Amino acid sequence: MIRYATYWALVIGLQVLVLNHLDISSYIYPQVFIILLITLPLHLKKTYQFLIGFGLGLIMDLFVYTPGIHMSACLWLIAIRMIILGRQDLKEHANNKLTYSIKTAGFFPFFYTTLILIIVYHFYIFWLDGIGNINLEHMLITGLSSSLLAITLIGVLQALSLNKYE
Amino acid sequence: MQRLFAFIEYNFHIILFVILQIICGFLIFSLNPYQQATFSKSALNATSSINNWSSSIYNYWDLKNQNTWLQDQISKQFRESYPQSLSYMNDTFNVKDTSKHSLFDAIPAQVVFNTSYKTNNRFIINKGRNHGIKKNMGVISSQGIAGIILSSNENFSVAMSLLNTKMKIIPYINGQEYYTEIEWDNTKLNSLTINGINKLEKINVGDVVSTGNSSLLFPKGIPIGSVSKISNTSKSQYFKLEVETATNFRDLEYVFVVINREYSSLNHLLSND
Repeated sequence: MIRYATYWALVIGLQVLVLNHLDISSYIYPQVFIILLITLPLHLKKTYQFLIGFGLGLIMDLFVYTPGIHMSACLWLIAIRMIILGRQDLKEHANNKLTYSIKTAGFFPFFYTTLILIIVYHFYIFWLDGIGNINLEHMLITGLSSSLLAITLIGVLQALSLNKYE
Repeated sequence: MQRLFAFIEYNFHIILFVILQIICGFLIFSLNPYQQATFSKSALNATSSINNWSSSIYNYWDLKNQNTWLQDQISKQFRESYPQSLSYMNDTFNVKDTSKHSLFDAIPAQVVFNTSYKTNNRFIINKGRNHGIKKNMGVISSQGIAGIILSSNENFSVAMSLLNTKMKIIPYINGQEYYTEIEWDNTKLNSLTINGINKLEKINVGDVVSTGNSSLLFPKGIPIGSVSKISNTSKSQYFKLEVETATNFRDLEYVFVVINREYSSLNHLLSND
């Protein structure tokens, strides 16, 4: 439990202290913290999943002064995750109270689930951020580049955690 | 009831999701200045369209009240102005009397029945003896002469339309009264005829034909119509004029009954002469 909490604290710290202040380009805002929601334990009740998503979104919104945007995006991410995971055979892992990861789901299911969720999340927050005056070209480039960087960093995090388990 | 609870319990996560999203929506559009401005703009667009629409409907339903109010205002102006003046088709006519009170009064009324396709057309208005209306009072519309009251009961009056072969009015054209009559010959709707004006007179198409001083029923200067055609036959020394009526009798809806306050005394004076 302590290890799990430390992992959460580290990832949130990485997001709010490092990634939110990255000044590489105006097109890159990777949201890596969503790996915490993607990899939630499989046995967790749906109600708790929504509450955790709402809480994590609230923390992110407090740090970037965007009340409601990350909260809403996290709720959608949890909802879409439920739909996608409902199509994957994970009952046994859920009974064993495991988290969703490369190890439990396999590389390809985990990869496409994560890819879909990351892309949806990034495009949703950029759409909400520019609502009413959306520059499609800018949104497309920012969404894709940020998603690409986020999936890379999440891949690294997953690889590190996988090595640790092994 | 138990089913309802079971349904709520089974779908509690969906209900929670919806509630939390509503909270998020509220936070997004109330605490983020840019999103708030966008939301306000969109909401304003939507509500202004709806408001315009409802306002149009309300205005439409209120038209009758507005018409009544306007008629009252015109009547009041007609009564109170001294010397009487009333803006009429961009002209102003003046009614001057020798006493200190106005000679003519006007009572607004609404046409409840009207014909324009018969030889002798008539219309009925929703005011009668209870409102001070009697036989031989003039009726005008907001455009010009409409007719003369034939008979009245307590609440309604029948008027002879200008489109009636028995209707005769002496025309006043270009500052001159012609001792002939303007009449309807039942050939064309909204078109009257004047015979007997000498060819030496200067009359042109478009000249306004109005009432003169020779009538006790109408103030001077109320438009009857305008000259639309001048027939000039070589055999006759007189013009035949076609006059298009100022009042459109197909759309006759709101009228004023003109009351000459001194009609009885003036008529008595004339008959003793």
